[in-house]
This record gives sequence, structure tokens and C-alpha cells, in this order.
Amino acid sequence: MTTLDVVRGTAARVADAVKIYGVGGTEVRALDHVTVEFPAGRFTAIMGPSGSGKSTLMHCAAGLDTLTAGSAWIGETELGPLNDRRLTLLRRERIGFVFQAFNLVPTLTVRENITLPLDLAGVAPDQAWLEALISIIGLGDRLRHRPSELSGGQQQRVAVARALAGRPQVVFADEPTGNLDSRTGGEVLGLLRRAVDEMGQAVVMVTHDPTAAGHADEVLFLADGRLVDRMERPSAGLVLDRMKAFERGRS
Amino acid sequence: MTSAPVTARLSLRSLRAHRRRLAGTLLSILLGVSFLTGTMVLGDTLRANFDTLFADANAGTDVVVRSADVLDSAGTVGGVRAPVAAALADRLRTIPGVAAAEPSVQGAGQLVGSDGKPIGGQGPPTLAGNWLTDSRLNPYRLAEGRAPGAPGEVVVNRGAARTGGLHLGSTTVLRTPDPVPVTVVGIATFGASADGMGPSTFTAMTFDDAERHLTPRGAGQAGSIQVRAAGGVSQRELVARISPQLPSGVQAITGAEATRESTQLLSGRFLSMFTTLLLVFAGIALLVATFTIHNTFAIVVAQRTRENALLRALGAGRGQVLGATLAEALAVGLLASLGGLLGGIGVATGLKALFSALGFALPTGGMVISAAAVLMPLLVGTLVAVGSALLPAVRAGRTAPLAALRDTGVDRAAEGRSGTVRTVLGGLLVAGGVPVAVLGATDGPSVVLTAGGALAVLAGTVVLGPVAAAFAVRTLGAPLPRLRGVSGVLARRNAARNPRRTAATASALMIGVAVVTLFTVFGASIKATLDDTVSKSFAGDLAVTTSSFGAGGSGISPKVADTLAALPEVRQTVGLGRGVARIDGHGRTLDVTDPARLSGIVDLGRVDGSLDALGTDGLAVSRSEAQQRGWRLGQSVTVGFTDGASGPFTIRALYEGGGLAGDYLITRQAWAPHRGQDADTMVAVGLREGVPLSAGKAAVAKALAPFSNPQVQDRAEYAKSAASGVDMMLSVVYALLALAVLIALLGIANTLTLAVHERTRELGLLRAVGQTRAQLRGMVRWESVLVAAFGTVGGLGLGAFLGWALVRASDSAGTGSFAIPPGQLAVVLAAGLLAGAVAGLRPAGRAARLDVLRAIAAE
Repeated sequence: MTTLDVVRGTAARVADAVKIYGVGGTEVRALDHVTVEFPAGRFTAIMGPSGSGKSTLMHCAAGLDTLTAGSAWIGETELGPLNDRRLTLLRRERIGFVFQAFNLVPTLTVRENITLPLDLAGVAPDQAWLEALISIIGLGDRLRHRPSELSGGQQQRVAVARALAGRPQVVFADEPTGNLDSRTGGEVLGLLRRAVDEMGQAVVMVTHDPTAAGHADEVLFLADGRLVDRMERPSAGLVLDRMKAFERGRS
Repeated sequence: MTSAPVTARLSLRSLRAHRRRLAGTLLSILLGVSFLTGTMVLGDTLRANFDTLFADANAGTDVVVRSADVLDSAGTVGGVRAPVAAALADRLRTIPGVAAAEPSVQGAGQLVGSDGKPIGGQGPPTLAGNWLTDSRLNPYRLAEGRAPGAPGEVVVNRGAARTGGLHLGSTTVLRTPDPVPVTVVGIATFGASADGMGPSTFTAMTFDDAERHLTPRGAGQAGSIQVRAAGGVSQRELVARISPQLPSGVQAITGAEATRESTQLLSGRFLSMFTTLLLVFAGIALLVATFTIHNTFAIVVAQRTRENALLRALGAGRGQVLGATLAEALAVGLLASLGGLLGGIGVATGLKALFSALGFALPTGGMVISAAAVLMPLLVGTLVAVGSALLPAVRAGRTAPLAALRDTGVDRAAEGRSGTVRTVLGGLLVAGGVPVAVLGATDGPSVVLTAGGALAVLAGTVVLGPVAAAFAVRTLGAPLPRLRGVSGVLARRNAARNPRRTAATASALMIGVAVVTLFTVFGASIKATLDDTVSKSFAGDLAVTTSSFGAGGSGISPKVADTLAALPEVRQTVGLGRGVARIDGHGRTLDVTDPARLSGIVDLGRVDGSLDALGTDGLAVSRSEAQQRGWRLGQSVTVGFTDGASGPFTIRALYEGGGLAGDYLITRQAWAPHRGQDADTMVAVGLREGVPLSAGKAAVAKALAPFSNPQVQDRAEYAKSAASGVDMMLSVVYALLALAVLIALLGIANTLTLAVHERTRELGLLRAVGQTRAQLRGMVRWESVLVAAFGTVGGLGLGAFLGWALVRASDSAGTGSFAIPPGQLAVVLAAGLLAGAVAGLRPAGRAARLDVLRAIAAE
């Protein structure tokens, strides 16, 4: 798969997605008929208040969780029919992940963490690409260090590098700046932005931080499991206003 | 509940909340306590069973008259007593108060079963004697048929009859050792209902027959005279009346005393050896359990750091947090020990069945459970639990309140100062222990010195464990990354991640494997020594032996050697018999033989003096024995025989010891006047030049048919059969050690389960970024294998060293061999690794079933 292929078309999508937790009286409808596409080469942010279903949407789209109804796709592959093993292989070959915290395996060095998905697949990393990534995250001198020797911001930068190392079809980032201060958070968001602009990478990010969402190409707003709005070329101010409008509308 | 102290409430809550975590601990204590209880109950039960049995059987015997002269020698249980005149019974009957007096002839006699195979003889004695006609004096009771009345008629004990398939009217052969054709006319029980006196067999014939076949011809000798008192005369009173009438050197004791002696002989020697052996293994199992339990509590306390810190922050004192952990251990220990008590009764039943199946016939009777057998295991189990939890509990008490706020990495060992102390202490123990053990092994040799050194080395190794663990696991796991990629890398690093924990886990297995290795090496060395002895000193082609070369078998007829010598295929034969005598005051075993016929078949090494001219007043002595007792060639020593006679003998030859022949050789001519029942224990045969081994063997076997077929073996077979007892002993030891190894494996599984639990998020992350379930399972299993490998390899090394030291230390003559059996040790290694993989199965399965999303989100 080359970068050019990824740039065209859809990196991931969900169609008429429904996710229900629990049964009977305790039933919670986390996703309520959501249809959304994440285009290749674009930075999409998913926003919404707690319990809006934004994390569930990401987890289902990324094959970490299964839908109750509807379908989820990575590229042209539908996730529903895949068994655990196929899903795992798909995750490590075509998806990159950045989580809010505990992103790195403590016993592996920085370099080993970056190449972890490739190593699990038994694939030799593209050395030139790897060197490029390492120089972008700026941790060339820390490659033999363990995660515990890095700051929180540095750890998240390593996580971004790992997500990008295999040149996946799409990178899912779940509150990647949630545990960082604004300066280090900005660095991580800048990295994701560069991945989209310079590498043509598709990135989907769940966040509740309007500033973070301001780095995206488009913001999707979720509330009560439904897609309620979207905003192209957002800025932190505009996103904040829109969020406040929702809060008022709900109360 | 509200009134209960807060610490007790807390610990009970946490017990309920972490049932799973402590399940492994519970099980290890339970198993260890079960074994301990089982051993104690079995010991009490057997002792009581034997006591009842003898008391019942001898109830009718009030006084036993016997020779006061006992000749004690290594290898004769209870010593050899001189005979008394059978005619003494007639005189005793005239004493007022004596209701009955009967001479009792006791000797060895092995029955041949209906299938032509000898009955018994694998250790327990095969006895023969006269049937006491006074039914109350006779410890045996007729169950079927009648008493022997004519020559050739015998009564056999029920156990022997059953084993040999003999019935009333069966005709068979009794080896005394000359074959005597006999007809079974009665079947007897020992006492009211036992199949026999323990596992021994007994054949009873008429007094005339017994005298003819079991004593030197016409000697009129009996082993003892059993006396029954008339009504109203007490045992003591009768002894007092009889004693003055006895010739010198003959004594009278009460029946109660005689019974006590025979039970003590059994309880004191056989049973206490038996129970001590079992207790040692119970101790090993409990020691191994201690490591497992300590480790579990250490991990649980580490995982609970935040909880404990919160308690401390809210105002709980050190003592309260410490108390809560100890109370938890106490509860687990008590609960497990109670379960172990119940299990122990099952174990006792199982052990009894196991030893019966292995051929140790044990008496029947109900289980006897003494207070000690209940209290001791309960106390030991609880102490082991509380003691193991002590250090972790102290650590829990020391938790700083601030730790509640910190994100403490529970999976990281705090090294540093304690690491240095550990290295120095462990290093000192090993550095001190090794030379002491080596010194004890080579110079002296001294078992005590070596055992002390060995203990220091063992303790040092355990102390050094955490220091060595990381390095060892990394070394052992070196091939893993190539074999299993990044999952292999992770397995290796996880195993080395917390060296203290890995070491504690592996130590349990290490101790188990070390003991297994020690016994394996010891057994192999004994076998090598026996093999060496045979190849060094057995120069013949064939060996004729009975099924047992120690106590038990009836021996070989002295006529065999001459019969075989007459065969055209045979060049030369020599028989070796065994006797005991008192030589310059010390009981010793003699080899009774024709020294002149030894040459060329039994190699005695360099001989000073001449074997041909020992005559009826000469001895040959091994050089090492002579040296030890300060004798020279030509010197005169006093030899006292079992019949009470004694006289001066001249040492006419010195020879190399340590071979087939023991330390003393005496001629048949010198021995004959004093002999009891004459038997050879082995006949060595040399074939004529050019006679093929198979043809010679067939001819010898054919000639042996009238002697009811003793075994004929070539050199290799003979060496192998000499070592077969070692194999049987080893299999018993392995079976007993299996428990310790099982507990060690439970420990590995438990530690891994706890590790998986605390690495939940990490495992979730790995699964999210693409580790398959299979890879994850492999990662956990390989970690388990690595920990097991560390324990196994350490145990092999330690066991081999200690085995070497003990083999050398216990070999005072310096003639033994040391052997490391590579095949068997490879099996131990493979078993250790495989067991590691098995121990990892459950934790690996649990880890693989983790839900990815929940794992990532886990606290």
C-alpha cells in the first residue's frame, strides 16, 4: 500500500452504527444509527460531552469493540465478519493507535516500542521511514531508554511514532493530550497534523478539548449517541462556542 | 461485625475479595499439611496395628526362656541369639506353675508357589519353624485344615498361601535352603485374623522336621522355649520360679517383655525409619510451600500498596495494617491446615495403599489419630502461613501514607542497600559452605561437616537468588527472541522484571529439583559402586543367587556349588555363605567359603599370606579392616560363635576389600561345628574354555532344577540385579518428591496469575496494537518456562554438587564411585521445563481471555 492509495477514498467508515450496552432496564444506547466517513489524508476530530458515544464510535470503528447493528469498515474491509485473530492482524497492519495514557510497554525500549506492531507481525521496518519518524519526534538520543525514563509528553510522541511506523490506513487517537499540559499537548497535536499534511495520513481523534479539536480538518459533534453536527476548518474558539450552544440546548 | 476489631474485619473482607489470589497459597499449605498429617497418622496407625497384632498373638505366652547371649552385627536385625537345648523344656514342665513348655525352633525357609516361583523374599523375612502344639502358646491359629502330624506336613500362613496359590493338599517345596518336599495340611492366621506377622511368611512343621531341616543335624537345639503359666500364677512370679533352675547363659523373660521387644524391633527400626523418611519429605514439601506463600503475600501486599497507604492516610497505625495482613495469613493458614487435616487422613490411606502396592505388606486395622497428629500439623501449617507472611506484613505496615497519592509501580523491585546486604550475605554463605562441604567430602570424610556445608550453600543460594535471577533468566532466555520474536523478548524481560519475585518463585522449584537431583546422583553412584564391585571382583561367568541377597531369601543349598562343579561345561565353582561371629569382641559378618576355590572366579586383589592354608583355625581379613583394627598377618584374634563356643584364630591372609567378599573369610570346615542353618548366598561359576555363555547358562539352570531354580545370571545381569533395589528406592523417593514439585509449580502458576493481574493494562495495550491471543499466551507460557528453567537448572547444579559431596563424605572406605547420570538428569531438566509450561497454561489462558477495551481502561 502506498501513500497515494491512502490519500484517495475513505480510510474508515461506519454505516448505520448501533451499539447497545446492557439489556432491559439498564440498556444504554451508546451509538444510535450513526453513519460517518473518515476520508483518507484528513484529520477528523470527534467531540461531545461525556457519555455522548464518542469513544464508543472510535472503538467500534477501530475494531476494538463490535457493533450491535450496522457495519464498520477499514478501507474496503468490513470488520463485522472478522474473528478475533483477523481483527488483531488488521489492527496491527492497517491501524495505528494512540491512547490517553499507558501507551508504551514498560519493558521495551523507545525504539522497540515504536516498532512493536511491526515486530509482532514479523515484518522488517522500513529503516528510512523509521529514521524520518524518529527525527520528527525528536527523540533520537533516547531510543535505548525505557518509557519510565521519559516525560509524559515524550511518551506520547513515542506513541505517535509507533502509530505511524507501519504507515497504517488510519490512526485512531483517544484523548492523546488528555494527560498533558498545553505546551506538550500542542507538540503532540503538531505531530499528528504533520502526519496528515506531509505523509497523507488519515487521523481520527477523540477529544473533549476544543483547542485540540482546533488542529483538525473537520470536527464531528456527537450527543446521546447521535451525530448532531459537523464543522469544517474549525478553530478552538468556534468549537467552544458550538459546545456551549449544545450545553444550553440540552439544559 | 461492628464490634470486631477493624483489622480483623479488614482482613476478612480482603480475603473474600481476593479469594482467587490466595487460592494457590491455600492449596500449598493444604497439600503440605495433608502430607504431614498423613505421615503422622500412618505412623501412629501402623504402630498401634503392630502392637495390637503382637499383643494378641502372644497373649498365651507367659515366659520366654532363651540364651542371654546376643551377637549384634550390622545387617542382622535384633542380633543373633545362641540356641538353647530343646530338652530344657522337659525340665521346665516339672516346675510348679508351668502349664505348658515347648521348644520353638526358628529358622529360614522359603516356600515355592504353585507357579514354581519362590514366595516373598524381597526384604521381609521368610521364616520356618515348628508348629507349637499348645494352641495358646502358638501365636498362629489354624484357619483351615489341621496341625502337621507327619514328616513333610506343613501349616503356612494365610498371606503366603494366597500369594503362592497354595491350598490344603497342595504339594510344594520348602527351601531350607535344601529343597524339602512338603504338603500343606493347614493354613494359619497370625493372631486372630492377620494374614501373617507383618509381611513375613511362615511355614510350620513338626518339631522333628524343624529340628532336621532348620538346625544342624541332631543338635537338639531350639531358638527358645515358650512357657505358659498355670492359672493364678503371674508372668513375673513364673519368671522368678524358673530363673534359678536355668543353666548359666540362659535367661527367662516375661511374655509381655518379649512382646514389647518384638514390637520395638519393628516400631523402633522399621517404623521409625519409615516415618522419619516420610517426615523428611513432608518437611521438604512444607519448605517449598513457605516460599510459595511468602511470595504470594509479598505480591499481594505490593499490589495493595495504595489501599494500605489510604488506610494509613486515614489514620490506621502501622500495627493495624501489619495486623490486618497477619490476620489474613492466620485465617488462610488455619483454614488450609484444617482442610489439610482432613486430606491427611486420605493421604494416610493412600500411602498405605501405595506402600502395599510396592510390596511393603502392612498390617490391617483401623486408623489411629492421636492428638499430636492433629495438633502438630495444625500448628505447623498455621505457623508456616503466618511466618511466611511476616516480612510482607512488616512491609505493609511501613507503607507511607503518601504512597496513596503516588502512582507506584508495583512491579518494580526496590533494590539498593538490601541488594548489597543480600549479595554479601549470600556470597558469604556460599563461599563458606562450599569449602566446608568439599572438605567434608574429601578430607575425613565427614557427613556432618558436609551436611553443614550443604545447608549453608543451600541457604546462600536462596539468599543470592534475586541477585542471580535477572542475569540467569536473561541468559537462559537468550534464544527466545529468535524463536518467538518480540513476544519472546517480552517473555524474557517479564521474567527478569522483578528479580526478587522470580527468585522466590524459582527457589521453591530449585529446592525440589535439587533434592530430586541429589537422590538421582546418589542412586546412580550406588549403582556405579555396585557395578564396579562386580566388575572388579567377580571374575566368573555366571552367578547363582536367590531373589534376595540380604535378609529374607533362604539362601542357596551348600550342595549347589559341588553339583555345578561336576558339570562338563563348568571349570570351577565356589559358594559364599554368610555368618556372624564376635571377633575380638565386635559382632562381624563373615563369608563362609572354600578360600582355595576362590581364585579365578572371585578376585580378592593382592593377597598377602596364603588363602589355601586357613584350615580350621585361620581367618583371612580385608586389608582395610585389619588396618582399622591394627592387626597384622600372623596375629591371633578371638572368634566367638553364635553357639557360645569361642577360640583363637590366626590371621593367615590379608586381601583387598570392597569386593564381593566382605571383610572376613573363614573356611567351611572351621565354621561347620558352630553353624546354624547352612546356606550360601551366592555361588560363582566359571565356565570351561570354549563353552558358549548361553550353553553354559542353560546347563547350569538345568542342573539347578532340583534346587527349585535359584536365579542364574551372567555378569551384566548380576550387576544389574544387585542395583535393582536402588531403583525401587528411587521410585519411592520420586513419588514422595512429586508433592514438593507440585507445590513449587502451584507457586509459579500463582505468581504468574498475580503478575498477569497487575499487568492488565499492558496486556490490553499489546492486544490493541496487534498481539494475537496465541502470541500473548505464548508470551506468558514462555515466561513461566523461563522461571521454571531458572529453578530447574539451579536445582540441578546445586543437587549435583551436594550429591557429589554427600557421596564422597559417606564413603569412608574410599572405594565408592561417583556417577552423574546424564540421561536421568536430562529427563529431570525436560520435566522441569515441561512442568513450567504446564504451570503457565492457566495464567496464559486467563491473560488471553482479557477483554481488550476493559484491560486498557483498567486501573
